[in-house]
Amino acid sequence: MIQHPGILALLLASFLVSLLLVGAGWQGLRILHGWDLKSGSEGQLDLERRTYLVSTLVPFALVIHFLSLFLFIFTADNLHTQFVGAMCAAGSLAVNPFGYPALLANIAVCLVAGMWLILHRADTQGYDYPLIRPKYTLLLGLVPLVLLETWLQTRYLTGLKADVMTSCCGSLFGHGRQGFAAELAGLPPRTMQPAFWATFMLLGLAGLVFLRSRKGARLFALLSLGFLLMAVASLISFFCLYIYALPSHHCPFCLLQREYGFVGYPLYGSLLGGGITGLGVGALAPFRTRKSLVVTLPGLQAKLAWTTLALAALFTLVVGIWMAMSPLRL
Amino acid sequence: MIELVQVVKTFQAGLATPFTAVDGVSLSIPEAQITVLKGPSGSGKTTLLTLIGCMARPTSGRIHLHRLPGNVLPQLQAGDSVEITSLPERFLTAIRRRTFGFIFQQFNLIRGISVLENVMLPAYPTGEDHRSVEARAVQRLESLGLGRHLRASVERLSGGEAQRVAIARALINDPTVLIADEPTAHLDSRLSEDFMALMGQFKAAGKTLLITSHDPIVHGSPLADRVVELRDGQIVAEP
Repeated sequence: MIQHPGILALLLASFLVSLLLVGAGWQGLRILHGWDLKSGSEGQLDLERRTYLVSTLVPFALVIHFLSLFLFIFTADNLHTQFVGAMCAAGSLAVNPFGYPALLANIAVCLVAGMWLILHRADTQGYDYPLIRPKYTLLLGLVPLVLLETWLQTRYLTGLKADVMTSCCGSLFGHGRQGFAAELAGLPPRTMQPAFWATFMLLGLAGLVFLRSRKGARLFALLSLGFLLMAVASLISFFCLYIYALPSHHCPFCLLQREYGFVGYPLYGSLLGGGITGLGVGALAPFRTRKSLVVTLPGLQAKLAWTTLALAALFTLVVGIWMAMSPLRL
Repeated sequence: MIELVQVVKTFQAGLATPFTAVDGVSLSIPEAQITVLKGPSGSGKTTLLTLIGCMARPTSGRIHLHRLPGNVLPQLQAGDSVEITSLPERFLTAIRRRTFGFIFQQFNLIRGISVLENVMLPAYPTGEDHRSVEARAVQRLESLGLGRHLRASVERLSGGEAQRVAIARALINDPTVLIADEPTAHLDSRLSEDFMALMGQFKAAGKTLLITSHDPIVHGSPLADRVVELRDGQIVAEP
């Protein structure tokens, strides 16, 4: 294992988050098993107080996790000088078989955690714990995911050894190579460019329809997910080429480096944030008719929809500016 | 309007020295009436008031508020019912602010600020326009005969005046329920009778009044519609 402040912070954060989530999950299990709001028993009142404990612990843990995702990427990028052949985080993550799975698990936890925070926010708007069961069911699903992520990340970080030979991003995200990353890099810009703009327009249209009529929440959520995936594919397929001003460099990790103004952080941050808020609009849709949420939920959904649109626009604006300023023309 | 179902409050629950201050109280407190809780010190009167007034939560049992006024929570309409012991704190705060007015035994006026400012204080968190709050506070104080003391510091008031300031403060958010804890403990007989006469006026205006007292002027008053006797946290006598 390499002694690096980022690694130590990540290990500490992931163990702390796991510990808090396991504790909260145990409380969640008790709440799901014993909850009966009609009862005035001592046990029920005790469970109601425990919901406040969970409400304090889990958001704290999840915020740490969100921050640790970006620290994970930053650390992977920062460590690339330790490995032979690595030029950026792409090479660092390929040093052992746990790097990329740890990154994907980290992202998955962020998406589910974001959904949980949105459900939690909606639940606290109702006076009678309206989303207590879906919220704690999701929490119980989140706990094993967090444990898996902690295990993968620990295996990855503790398995790092200096001077290991690894692949550079050019070979991982290069044309004519094998694997999913190379296939993404090989997607034709001529097809991907109109597909990206069409997805962006569709998302904007669905958002405006939802904001005007409060209809189509699920479609908007689906399009948000679609935009997230399309944006990542487009980034690898052609946006990167404009940003690097190189016709064959598709690496999505070099964007995180100083040479490119750390542009990857706002791009990935806006995509992840927009994906979460967009999915949140759909996740809340089934609960709009609950009496204690009828007044507040439409407002919360509208805020989430506006945030999704703003973050999608931010992503598009940033890549658009880089495209316009790039000397490369495809 | 207020319904208590098997309410228990145990302090130090789960520790070596638990103390049950309220023990399985079930009670209905009707609207626009004066209900007096009487009993010796330590009988659980004040604890029961704090539970009803959303200032503490019971160990078990439920408390329902029926036929709420319209402006309590945006999610509730006028006439709805709500169970308060399960409410998250933010809703409890809104209900406490809009539904209950408190008159404390020690009056709890804030020294160093004027009578008018004391009365206006509970309205500040509501975000209501300052001028309309001030106009209402002045009107409340004048109706209680305190018009000439508006700018006076509360330290300069007599006991009876201080209590009337406390009453004006309890009324500033126009609550439907007035809760008074041993209100005549620091008053002489004449002021105690004046206090009950004032309570009679509020009752006539449709307020629900809940008073704890072991003062015969209060629980023996013909204005009291109902006297509930508590002993060791339990109801021992109820008409």
